[in-house]
Amino acid sequence: MADAKKMLSKRRIKLTFVGVFVLTVLAVLTAIPKGPNWFGKETKIHLGLDLQGGAHLVYQADISNIPSGDRESAVEGTRDVIERRVNALGVSEPLVQTNKSDKNYRLIVELPGVTDVNEAIKQIGQTPVLEFKTYTTTPAETALTSDQEKQRDEFNTAQQDRAKVALDKVKKDPTSFEDQANQLSEDPGNTDSEGKKRGGDLGWAKKGAYVPEFEKALFETLKDGEVAQYLIQTQFGWHIIQRIESRKDDTGEEEVHGRHILFKQWEQPQQQNVEWNNTELSGKQLKRSAVQFDPNTGQPTIALTFNDDGAKLFEKITEENVGKQVAIFLDGLIISAPTVQQKITGGQAVITGTFTVAEAKEVSQSLNAGALPVPIQLVSQQSVGPTLGKASLEKSFVAALIGFLLVLVFMVGFYRFPGFLSVITLGVYGMVVISIFKLMPVTLTLSGIAGFVLSIGMAVDANVLIFERIKEELYRGQTLRASVDEGFRRAWSAIRDGNISTLITAFVLMTFGTSMIKGFAITLTIGVLVSMFSAITVSRVLLLLLSSLKIFQAPRWWGISKKQTDISI
Amino acid sequence: MKVIHYRSMWYIISGTIVGASIIALLVFGLRLGIDFTGGSLLEVRYPQGIAIPQAADIKATLEKEGIPSPVVQLTDQNGALIRTKDLTEEEHQKTVDALKTAISGQGEEKIAVEVEELRFESIGPVIGKELRQKAGYAMALVLVLIILYIAWSFRKVSKPVASWKYGVIAVVALIHDVGITFGVFAVLGKVMGIEVDLAFIAAALTVLGYSVNDTIVVFDRIRENLARQGSGHFEETVEESIVQTFVRSINTSFTTLLTLLALFFFGGESIKWFMLALLVGIGVGTYSSIFIASPLLVSWERFIHKRA
Repeated sequence: MADAKKMLSKRRIKLTFVGVFVLTVLAVLTAIPKGPNWFGKETKIHLGLDLQGGAHLVYQADISNIPSGDRESAVEGTRDVIERRVNALGVSEPLVQTNKSDKNYRLIVELPGVTDVNEAIKQIGQTPVLEFKTYTTTPAETALTSDQEKQRDEFNTAQQDRAKVALDKVKKDPTSFEDQANQLSEDPGNTDSEGKKRGGDLGWAKKGAYVPEFEKALFETLKDGEVAQYLIQTQFGWHIIQRIESRKDDTGEEEVHGRHILFKQWEQPQQQNVEWNNTELSGKQLKRSAVQFDPNTGQPTIALTFNDDGAKLFEKITEENVGKQVAIFLDGLIISAPTVQQKITGGQAVITGTFTVAEAKEVSQSLNAGALPVPIQLVSQQSVGPTLGKASLEKSFVAALIGFLLVLVFMVGFYRFPGFLSVITLGVYGMVVISIFKLMPVTLTLSGIAGFVLSIGMAVDANVLIFERIKEELYRGQTLRASVDEGFRRAWSAIRDGNISTLITAFVLMTFGTSMIKGFAITLTIGVLVSMFSAITVSRVLLLLLSSLKIFQAPRWWGISKKQTDISI
Repeated sequence: MKVIHYRSMWYIISGTIVGASIIALLVFGLRLGIDFTGGSLLEVRYPQGIAIPQAADIKATLEKEGIPSPVVQLTDQNGALIRTKDLTEEEHQKTVDALKTAISGQGEEKIAVEVEELRFESIGPVIGKELRQKAGYAMALVLVLIILYIAWSFRKVSKPVASWKYGVIAVVALIHDVGITFGVFAVLGKVMGIEVDLAFIAAALTVLGYSVNDTIVVFDRIRENLARQGSGHFEETVEESIVQTFVRSINTSFTTLLTLLALFFFGGESIKWFMLALLVGIGVGTYSSIFIASPLLVSWERFIHKRA
């Protein structure tokens, strides 16, 4: 017995057998449909979308507006928001992943068992992008067109004519001033806040209150009670002016009470470039929002509460923009642009607008769910209805079972006793693999089942290699025990090399982001690894243990006839 | 058995099939599925007991809705497969609605029918292009890694054939296997309209791994026998190794093919062609590991011998 050292001692064989037995019991317990409750939750097989129905959506994130350093975090933020929205859909075990390929950032959303994909897409794609913007205006300075010049000249001539007619009337009858002013004056200030006309009355004023031409007429040219005998032209147009009275104030400065009738001159249609500028404040700093009702109008409004960052930013923005408008944009549309009265501390804001209660609620909810930091676009969609998924599951299950049975029949028929042992090994193998699927957990897809079934074939391969080798050794006249040891020893290099090349392929396949390919690669990898383990421990320990029993030592158990060779057992 | 002796015959058989495959690939090309081209695939099923509209009718209905050039194919399960350019979600809903309302009855008697949407896939052209590239890279990467692995694994066997030649021949064998698999699908694409999708690429890559696996088992035996008997009678050693591993090669492929056949026949429509690709590839792979790879080793050795 030169090989004695290489052979396992009886004690170790028994120990290994006990180990394998315990493993088998654990694996069977884990693998049976109603798995035990060891880990705080029921262990069960996770079925992929193609087996239980559901949707697989791929979104492209538009990061063109995000500085390159912030892209990862912006996309991650988007992922979180989508996850919150998806969770709100009530889908069990949704999955949202980010995926970067080349320069493209993608978001993969898997919704198992979702019944209304269309609705889900709507919910996910809804982008309540909340933005706070301040504005700067720049008057558009455009040259007058010849048409506009013509228009201006005609308009101004007509206005001057109207003004002259009015002036003549007032000159003739100064008491008609008030009526004329109320009828004709184009000074918007002639109407008070309640819509009452002032009769052109300007009230008391000191020097410096009016434009120079107007001031000169009122303060210097005219005396109390006098109406100017000619039209006074200012930048606004043509005025008929009357100085009513004058007085000195406490410091001795002159105050004049006057009135006027304004005929406006032509104005270039105002073109102001209003530029809304992004502030750093956005939906990102929003802590929560709620629907409230304006106590005065009863209108629904949306109350916003910012987080600490947001509160500081809001304070800063309002401080810098007192007296100016700060606009709130939702999805790129301006919904409210209140004028800031004073600096606002404490991080509270209210959006008023013409909402219905339902609209306000919806906006508030989607704001709570979170605004998407970056816009997304659906680029790929795969959805499987529940009927097809169920059919696929049943079919592939039946097919796997048939495949397994065929292998079983073949192995027992061809290899007899070792074949039977390899079937037991395969049983253990199957249970261990299913347990791993449950515990990892591996999401089982149709292609995953195919990978698993293929790995059964490969697990058998390892056994066949070993058995063929044992047979050879037996024909060569070795003892049964020596043949078994030698068979394992010599078959190992082929098993190893062959499986490693399969593993290389499987690893490359795993780098595909596609779940179909990934599912196949993962189950194939697990299958191959477990098959290597089961071939060199389970098969081996069974063979060694049972071959030491007298009754299994007859050559016919090993699929060889005694006539062919003299076998010394 | 005289595998080595009749090697010219195996070369001619394989040469013919590979040649035919190349011609099929050049003439027909592979029919690429939407995974690679971008586009949409909608499968619907009509309820039982209703006259299913003709493919042409469905096509006309969809074109009326503004869905450009749909390709409609009726399935044997009371349903229809509709292929179009990649649809947006709105277009998708429009299509489904059109299918529901346009069916059953003539003129005024049209009734909306619950057409069940079995599955819908829409893949943007960008994604398709990306996957095409990725599939190519993956193929190349697997090849390189496997050659490196074999060269390393056989590094101690360098007489009379250098170890890297085992690697090269293993790769020749797998190109043979994958080439024939591609050829078969080029023909299937032409004759039956079978499309090549991502699953096919997965199958092709698996065939790569499996083909090498099979070849390695034979080479492993040659390696072992060379170590024991020396390199004096290379041809005899190779022949002996083939004989010794023959039953194993046939049996393991047979068991694998059994499971694949079960999936092919009973596993349902969606993995049928995936399984066929594996069946063809693994079947051819077993053949090539016995009848092509090992004889090539001998041919290479003799070629060097003659020149020396």
